[in-house]
Amino acid sequence: MEIAESVSQDVPFLVLRGRLDGLAAPALETKLAALVSSGSTRLVFDCSGLEYASSAGLRVFLSAAKKLKTTGGRCAFAALSPPLREIFSISGFLEVLEIHETVESATA
Amino acid sequence: MRPSSQPPLDAVNPLTFTEEIVLLALDDQSGAALHLPVTALSYGLAGAVLADLAVAGKIDTDAARLTILDPSPTGDPLLDPWLALIAAENKVHSVAYWLSVLSDRRAEIESPALDRLLARGILRRQDKKILWVIGLRRYPTIDGHERTEVRTRLGQLILGEDLPDPRDAMLISLLRGCHLTDHIFDGPEFTTREPRLATLAKMDLVGREVATATSAAIIALSTAMNASVPHM
Repeated sequence: MEIAESVSQDVPFLVLRGRLDGLAAPALETKLAALVSSGSTRLVFDCSGLEYASSAGLRVFLSAAKKLKTTGGRCAFAALSPPLREIFSISGFLEVLEIHETVESATA
Repeated sequence: MRPSSQPPLDAVNPLTFTEEIVLLALDDQSGAALHLPVTALSYGLAGAVLADLAVAGKIDTDAARLTILDPSPTGDPLLDPWLALIAAENKVHSVAYWLSVLSDRRAEIESPALDRLLARGILRRQDKKILWVIGLRRYPTIDGHERTEVRTRLGQLILGEDLPDPRDAMLISLLRGCHLTDHIFDGPEFTTREPRLATLAKMDLVGREVATATSAAIIALSTAMNASVPHM
């Protein structure tokens, strides 16, 4: 999985491409831990290129959202690819996480 | 004395999912097993083992398959026999397949978990005789702190709107999958929270598969019982 970091309207966002499975999850966890420890209270995931998330990947997403919410921050998921939307739907993530159609609306 | 390979049983070593399911499947006061649908606890314990292995970073799952990430032992004797079993399999199978395999080994999962809870000082073993002959073993609670803590924490999640952390989502999903939520969250305040509980329970794949397997077993039993009743 590729992880690219960028900033839009002062909000950091991570562009994820490929497959988020149990082998890729630790790298994303490390990236997220660095962002949170640097003081980020908002974070957007650009999921337009993310084709797949296993249970381990979903746990990283949920953990990030929980951590940021606990510290008064926000975590949003934008531009879900069709397969990821399906996985989020089955897992109830569409109902509990902040979901946006575009990165622009998520960072607004 | 415990073998040195076993982890210390103290506060820094929290309960595994397997221990939590075993503990919560017992009546608080009497220590008797709660009444659950057929095979529900077998699937619940099988799911708990898979959840423990997932959190330990040993396996990963999706809708089609369970894959090994790291076959090296966890160091926990409650989990390592099952990790070795899964890792020794040449073919990749689904979560449902492994739930079926592990649910057939319920006693081998449950018994060491009960021993661990005894060693932690959470439960005590009580052997009784009914009519001086029939042996009855129960596990009354000595220290109800763990049970109260998990009920309070998960109850607040169900009654509120907070995001769960992944571990709590996994536990709620497992508990609902094997129908233990019917016993644990049975107060009137929970009756209107069924949609919320359903949403939380969807958040972990293993718990969802436990629910599917338990429902299938209930339907199969019901069908078999109906078929055995003579038609008038």
